[in-house]
Amino acid sequence: MKELQVNDLSIEVKKLIIDTLDLEDITPADIEDDAALFVDGLGLDSIDALELGVAIKKTYQVKIDNNSDDSKKHFYSVKTLCEFIAGNRS
Amino acid sequence: MDFIIKQCVAWGGELTTHQDWLAYAQGHKGLNALHELPQLKQIPAMQRRRLSPFAKLALHCALTAADECLETVPSVFSSRHGDLAKTSKLIEDVAAKEPLSPTNFGLSVHNAVGGLFSIYTGNKAPLTAISAGEDSFFVGLLDALAKLTANDYQQILLVYTEQLVPEMYQPYIEQDEVGIACALLLAPARQALIPVDDKATIFSLSMQANPAQQMQENPNMQVLEFLKFYYGMNELNKNITTNIHSKRHRWHLTRSAN
Repeated sequence: MKELQVNDLSIEVKKLIIDTLDLEDITPADIEDDAALFVDGLGLDSIDALELGVAIKKTYQVKIDNNSDDSKKHFYSVKTLCEFIAGNRS
Repeated sequence: MDFIIKQCVAWGGELTTHQDWLAYAQGHKGLNALHELPQLKQIPAMQRRRLSPFAKLALHCALTAADECLETVPSVFSSRHGDLAKTSKLIEDVAAKEPLSPTNFGLSVHNAVGGLFSIYTGNKAPLTAISAGEDSFFVGLLDALAKLTANDYQQILLVYTEQLVPEMYQPYIEQDEVGIACALLLAPARQALIPVDDKATIFSLSMQANPAQQMQENPNMQVLEFLKFYYGMNELNKNITTNIHSKRHRWHLTRSAN
């Protein structure tokens, strides 16, 4: 059951990323859980990071501090984002 | 001020090609309220995703008109309302105490489209953004010609863009507006630059204050008046002047065969 919930969240977060950042031609299946979201991986940039931070705050009432080393870790991949959201959502 | 028009590219009201605009100038085609946006397939998807309809109209015309000098041409971006759809969404979010979209915030300034043009082309030449009410098109042209002359540029790009304003602002609109972009690649009318056998058309722009200070704006957009004039050229009326009045100014645009 726990496994299933994490999986659901992962798809939800992928959809959020695609919708928030207007990623044309990309589906949730194209984003790997462990792959880097920024630069080398999906190719997102710093403006995307800000945009995604706002969207996550709106959707899950989770606040992410800008520019902290922790936030870089949380934003690394869909997996790290999901873990952060699951652990902090209210 | 004399100049030549090396390229003219316009997109709006479902008219997108030179043939469309020729037909428009001859009264054979009208403007539709709705229109398809340019695809801009040459811009990579990761950059294209941030382009609003306003930005797509502007960039399509800018990139097509300045194709021969994308990396070096100085430019003037003019628009009366700017990307108001974007700005008003931000204002609504402020009113609703919602967090603002950082992307929309960054791209809502009046020179954002010029910035996108510069980033995409790697062009670091001087660039200005202008807004001047109903005179925005001609003031943009005037600014471009002044820069062309003062700096001895070989050419300069003028990009004029307008989108229909959001519904809440519609009651304040006096002109008959349409979503449109028009880019002109302008060059000085120096004889040395025009090949002898080239029958280049020389344009001249002048303006004066409108002493009558009309209360009403001209019902027609200046860019459409310009396009009618530009595409209305033919063998029978080589030398001709058009006078366009606005609340504050009288603009005179003349063309003569070389």
